[in-house]
Formats: sequence, structure tokens, C-alpha cells
Amino acid sequence: MNELLIEKKHSVREREHKRFRQQAPPDVLAECERENSSGMRRAALLIKRQCEAESVVIEPGERIVFTRTIPCIPRIYADMDPVCLINNICADWQMALSQGLLGRREAAADARERYKDNPQASEFLDCAIESIDAVLALAARYAQAAEQMGRHDIAQMLRNVPANAPRSFHEALQSLKFMHSALWLAGHYHVGLGRFDQYMWTYLEADLKSGVLTESDAEDLLAEFFISLNKDTDVYYGVQRGDNGQSIMLGGVKRDGSDAVNPLTRMVLRVVRDVGMIDPKINLRINADTDLDLLCLATELTSKGLGFPQYANDDVVIPSLVAHGYDLEDARDYSVAACWEFIIPGKGMEIVNYETMRFPKIVDQAIRNGLAAGDTFDGILNRVKVGIDEAARRYADCYSKRQLPPAPFYSVLMDDCIENGRDLSSGVKYNNVGIHGACSASAADALAAVKKHVFDQHDIDPADLLAALDADYDGFEDIKQKLQNDSPKVGNNDDAADSMLTTLFDYFADACEKLGDHDGKWIMRPGTGSAMFYLYMADEVGATAEGRKKGEYFSANLAPAPNIRVHGPISVLQTYSKIDYKRVCNGGPITMELSDAVFRDQDSVRKVAMLVRTFAQLGCQQLQLNTLNYEKLMDAKAHPERHRDLIVRVWGWSGYFCELAPEYQEHVINRYKYAL
Amino acid sequence: MSEGIIFDIREFCIHDGPGIRTTVFLKGCPLRCKWCHNPEGMSAEPQMINSAGSRRIVGEKYQASEVADRLNSQADILCANEGGVTFSGGEPLMQSRFVKDIIDLLDKKLHIVLDTSGCGTHSDFQMLAARVDMVYFDLKLIDRQAHVKYTGVDNDPILCNLRALSEFEKPFVIRIPLVPTVTDTDENLSAIAKTVRGLPGLVRVDLLPYNKAAGGKYASAGMVFDPGYDESAQLNLNIDCFKKEQVEVRVA
Repeated sequence: MNELLIEKKHSVREREHKRFRQQAPPDVLAECERENSSGMRRAALLIKRQCEAESVVIEPGERIVFTRTIPCIPRIYADMDPVCLINNICADWQMALSQGLLGRREAAADARERYKDNPQASEFLDCAIESIDAVLALAARYAQAAEQMGRHDIAQMLRNVPANAPRSFHEALQSLKFMHSALWLAGHYHVGLGRFDQYMWTYLEADLKSGVLTESDAEDLLAEFFISLNKDTDVYYGVQRGDNGQSIMLGGVKRDGSDAVNPLTRMVLRVVRDVGMIDPKINLRINADTDLDLLCLATELTSKGLGFPQYANDDVVIPSLVAHGYDLEDARDYSVAACWEFIIPGKGMEIVNYETMRFPKIVDQAIRNGLAAGDTFDGILNRVKVGIDEAARRYADCYSKRQLPPAPFYSVLMDDCIENGRDLSSGVKYNNVGIHGACSASAADALAAVKKHVFDQHDIDPADLLAALDADYDGFEDIKQKLQNDSPKVGNNDDAADSMLTTLFDYFADACEKLGDHDGKWIMRPGTGSAMFYLYMADEVGATAEGRKKGEYFSANLAPAPNIRVHGPISVLQTYSKIDYKRVCNGGPITMELSDAVFRDQDSVRKVAMLVRTFAQLGCQQLQLNTLNYEKLMDAKAHPERHRDLIVRVWGWSGYFCELAPEYQEHVINRYKYAL
Repeated sequence: MSEGIIFDIREFCIHDGPGIRTTVFLKGCPLRCKWCHNPEGMSAEPQMINSAGSRRIVGEKYQASEVADRLNSQADILCANEGGVTFSGGEPLMQSRFVKDIIDLLDKKLHIVLDTSGCGTHSDFQMLAARVDMVYFDLKLIDRQAHVKYTGVDNDPILCNLRALSEFEKPFVIRIPLVPTVTDTDENLSAIAKTVRGLPGLVRVDLLPYNKAAGGKYASAGMVFDPGYDESAQLNLNIDCFKKEQVEVRVA
């Protein structure tokens, strides 16, 4: 990176742009209530007023512009927080860029004519057009201000994009930045950036061929774009700062099945490594035959400790999506929503993290009730099955009553909404619901421990176990010891524990499949992620039979339970390769921590890359590798001022360690204690 | 079938030989190196370790077949990644019969490294060296008195085994723990360079810079760390001693 970029990065980290922030957002709600506006009108008014209220910021030397000046999203419904607006999906950026907003406006005007007798469609299309006009008016204001400041380069660019197709890679980046920011202004968060190396490569390739850009110019532009994505993360309202969904998916195959890796794939990996910030979050699609050189490049990124890339295995994900009703070409085009949930850009209005299958809670109830009733072990398993079925049914009932708020501007950037005169909120090609499968290792360990000690070895009496659980193990140290240290554990390639894990996911998949496809409208997608539930459930569930006391954290995503010493990463991968991923397609990564001591010599990058290849060859689905130094984390906790730029992976995203809430810091530290 | 005491079987030990490897750490070592950072490997018996508020027994009895089964279950993965199995410690020569029995049961395609201090009988050393693909041979000090002072044992059998190794023409890597003011002196490094120069089978010399966290584990094993040298002294990373003798050298 050149000096200007380093300075730019520093300024963004110092949040110097905060000085441009206005105090209050426009009062849109009052206006909506006065007019008694429909939901559609409210959404259109929101983006209009937000665009109008934005003031123009063009900083000296800046080549990709847009800085948020309104600090938050105003309400448009008296009884609904803006956080409930449509989020966590991915636009069709390829289409949006190549058509430009004017192209989309023409499509909307066409449709408006066709649907003139349909009042609902007419209102939607009018609102879509108004939204486009609002964004274009903001771009025009930027262009005008740039002109006045003598920044003819910026002015020229913003007169062309996002209205029209970009004429260069630079314009494509600017257009994406502008449209993405407009979605945030319209209240949509967790806006995925999709298959960036696919839709951007056309523009870059043309510039490299014609000589408009050298490779190094392109890298500088890309770095500036990535730095700009880190600007407005503080106005964003994720659970924790950093959880903002700016995820990019690289590599994989094209819609026709041919290899999609191109020079931009590698360039993104290089530039993100050099920029070293929390955004964008990088995902890489690989398969059993992926070139080790590409994996080495990706591993260099891992060695920087940014908590990405996260890997997805095409050999597993694509067939799984097809098995869940996705067309093969669409399945090949998958990306992630924000964290890890698989989604088709432009074609999915899916609620990918609608609810959470709380495995430890269901298993705990089954064990307690089963032991009290004198069940056999199969009896307990049956209670687990029933518990999972009931939860799935309950979630499905709620989901079927769901009503999404209209999103006319987001609809502009999706496939066929405009063309069909139907807002995104009433559905697109895929409208499925995803459920996390949280803390599976802890729950499986509990079942395996009960099976071994109560039913196979008979060295723990059911009544004693119940009493121990009720007492949170106070006075039952010997029982706790047996359950915790002398029981099979997930992550050691031990079938006694792993079979419990696969049983949980089989039950989960059975429960979802039983719900059917609701007349072809939607299915429930089981997943393997935990999001923040490994912390949320800690106090919600009392002592559990794997020897865990109330308040202690559960396992995150697909990872062995905390405080468990496992044989190592190969066994962990072997364990997780046993899950039938064809039936579990919502995503959720195997999560492994590496000590940074791993990277002490030249060979180590290649060896970690081989580990990633092994993940794919064993048929696992998704992988997240994190690198960190335990001592550094401890020091950062004691002296945050010395470690402001220390980045860690939290769940589906990376954040600055010192900006996390204490409970997340603690959990990260605890995970690294058991790093490989 | 023999049994032995192991204190860890650790996967993905990527610094213990080529490719992705699993390392078997055998408990018990005849040396008492002042800088040893695996104090739990010294005693040949299982022992209690107290760390971070939890107690656990370190050192477990295994049958040779149990160990071999576990390693064989990952043989395909290890081989596909240019790796295999490393026997380390402690000192594997102290349980040479057990190690031999494990090796004889291992999948023939597994690449095997013996990571040894060389301190053992000639026949034990020959028995294991003949069965492995590569040897990682630790050399600390050439001066006999210094060797006794800092490791507690005479280096004569070690140097004897080193010569025997070169007669096998088995590929081997010399590893030198660089301990400030003890092993990192110009005299010692050039004496080592002269000793290993031109030995058939020598792949290279690895210099392992001093690990300041060496003393960290002593307290939890109920032991006292008393190195008897200045841990904070500047390391002498003199690779020229080796270049002069045309010995390939790497700093790990």
C-alpha cells in the first residue's frame, strides 16, 4: 500500500470522518403518520428523506466517495424498529451494475405501463422509481459539489454512475459503493457483497487489457474501496460492532460449472491481506481439487489473524442446495448472506437466521425428564427427537404468519421484482427459512456421557445425576469429573460421541423435511451455526450432563465444547465429516483456532493450506480458521490502548477485540486457550 | 506386545518433519537440560499437572497396538499431505522396544521421523534408526564438560550414535537449541559445524532460537525452573560458522 492509503486507513481507524456526522436524522415517521401512508410509501419516503438529508463529503485525495453523515435510521413505523426491515440477503450486483439505476428505472417504467391496472403493482413501481430518483439526486449533488471543489474526476464519474453502466473498474467500484450505501440509508443492514470477483472482473479485465490501469493501479483502487467499507461501520447496528455483513464470496464455479477463479480472486486476497482491516469479510469457495497455490495465498490472510477467509466446499454445498430445491445453475452461483448462510444473490428473499434450534436445551430437558421417568437411553433419544420436531413446527407456524415490510429500493437491485411488479417482501425465486443448529457439540457430549455412565457402565445412578444437575454439581465433584473428563467428546473422531452429533442433525433434518414445501413456496433449511447463542444460552440452561455448570458457555458453531482438549485438527475434521451435509444446507462453519506460533517458518503456510485442502477432501461443508496469540489477547484485555487494531473472529464476522463487550472478549480468550 | 507411557499424541505438529504430521510424545528422558520447555516429559512416570485451576494426569499407559491403530486411522490423510508420524519426547530411545513395536504395526506408507537427543544405547538407536525414514537429531554442546554441566549427561554416547547414523546414510537433520551464552557461542557452533560437516545423510542444520517461555510449565508440574544462565542475553545467531563449513543451515 502506498503512503496515501496508509494515511487513509489510519484516518478511518481514528474515525476522523465522524466530524461530518449530523446530530439527528429527519423525522420521517411524523410525515408518514400525517399522510397515513402505506408501508410501501413509508419505505420510499424513508430513502428519499435520507438521501435529501445527507450532506456531501469529499475528502482531499479521496477517489471513491460517500461518507454517511446521518448517524442512524429514523423510524417509519410507530411500532417497529428499523432493525426489522429486510436484511441479511444479497443483491444481484452484476445486474445492478451493468444496467445502472437508469436501466432499472426504464425497466420499472415499462412494468408500470404493463401493470397500470394493478393498483398494488403500480404503487410498488411508483415507489421503486421514486427511490431510484432519490439515490440519483444524491449522486447528482455529489457530482455538483465535486465540480465546485475542482474535483472533475469525481464529478465525471458520478455523472455516469450509479445511473449507467460503469465505463471502468474505478467507476464500477464507485457505483457499488454508492448503491450499497443507499441500501444502508434505506434501513437495510447485513447487505452481502456477493461474488465480487465475478461481477467486477469484466470491468477490471477491460481496463487491464486497454492499459487504462496497471495491476498496481488496480490494487490501489481496490485497497481504497476496501478501506472505505470500514468507514461507516460505527453507524451500523449489529449485535456487536463488526457484525455488519459486508461479506464477499470469492472463487468457486460459474453458473455453467466451469472454474470461476480469475486474477481478481487472487488480487482481492492480496489486497485484503495488506489492508488488514475488519471489512470486507472474505469467503472463498473451494473443492477437493483446488490449487494449493490459491489456498496458500488464502492462508497468508489467515496468518495475519483477521479471522478470514472462511471456506465453503463446493463439492458439498452445491449438491446440498440442489437437494433442497435450488436449480443447479443457481446453486452454483451461491454466496453467503452476511456470516455463513448460503444464499443465491438476487434470487433469495430468505430469512436465513430466523430462529435457533437450541440443542443443549432440548437435550437437557430430554435427559432430565427421561431419567425421572425411568426411560431407556432410546427413550431419551426419542424425547430429543420429539423436542426438535416441536421446535421446528413452532418456528414454521410463526414463519408462515410472517409479513415482511416493503422494500422498493432493494427490489430494484434484485432479479425480476421490477419486471413482475412485485416487491421483494412478497417473495422472489427462493423464499426459504433458515434455522441455526446451535451448540451441537455440547449437546452431543451430554448424550454421550449419559449413555456411557448411566446406561452402559452403570457407574452413575440416574437419581444421583438428577440431583447433581439440580445442585449445579455442588457436592457432586466425582460425578462432574466422570462426565467431564471420562466421557467421549465430539472432536476426537470417536464414534461414541460423533454418533450423537450426527443423530442430532439427522433429527433436525427429519423435522424440517416433515414440514414439507408449503405448496412449493418455502422449506425450512437446517443449519449448523450458533451465532451468539453459545453465550445467550449459558444462563438460560442450568447445569448439563456433559459436566458443564450453569453459566459456562456452550460450543460455538461446529467446534468441540470449550475446555475440551481434543487430539487436534485432523480428528476435528474427521468428526465433522460425518454429518450428512446434503440434508443440512443453511451453513455454519467448523471453527478452529490456530496459535500464531504455527506460522513461525516458511513451510507452515503451505501446511495450513494442506489442512484446508483436507477439509474439502474429507467432505466437510464450511471452515473458519482463526489465528491468534493467547498472551496478546490477555495483554489487550489489560491494556486495550496498546492493541487498538487487534482483530479477532467472533462468530460469522471479525471485529476489533477492544471494541467487543466483555463477555465476547472472555469467550474469545477461552477459545484461544485451547488453540492448536 | 509392549506397552509404554505417552504424554501426548498431538496432531498437526508441522514443525516436526515434512508435511502434516502427528507427533507421539514419549514420557521419560535421561537428559536434564536446563532449558527444557517440556518438563512434563522428563519423568518416566505419569504425574499430576496443575494448570489454570484444573488438575490433570499427564502420562498415560498405551498398548503399542492402540497407538498404531490411532495413527493408522489417519494414514491416508497424513500421506496425502506429504507427512506422517514423528516420535518425540521425552526421549523415544528410553522406550525403544515400545516404539519399535508401534512402528512395526504402522501402515507401511507412513513417513516416520525419529526426533531424538541421541542419548541411548547403540543397539536401541540402531534398532529405531533402521526403521524410520528420517532422523531429527538434537545436538547441544560438543564440549563434554559443558554438556555434563547443562544436560546432566556425558555426550559420548550421543556423538557415537551420530557417527553410526551417518553410516546408515539415513537422511537426518541436526537441531540445535540456541540457548544464550550456553549453546550459541561461536566456539560451540563451529565445533558442531565441524562435527557434522560432510556426514552422509545430513540434510541441514536447524537453529532453534531460545524460547523465553521455557520456564512457564515448571510450576504446574511442581518443579522449579533454575536455568543458571542469563535468559535475557542477546542470542548469537551465527550462521556463518555453518556456511564456512558448507553446511546448509536454517533458523526456525
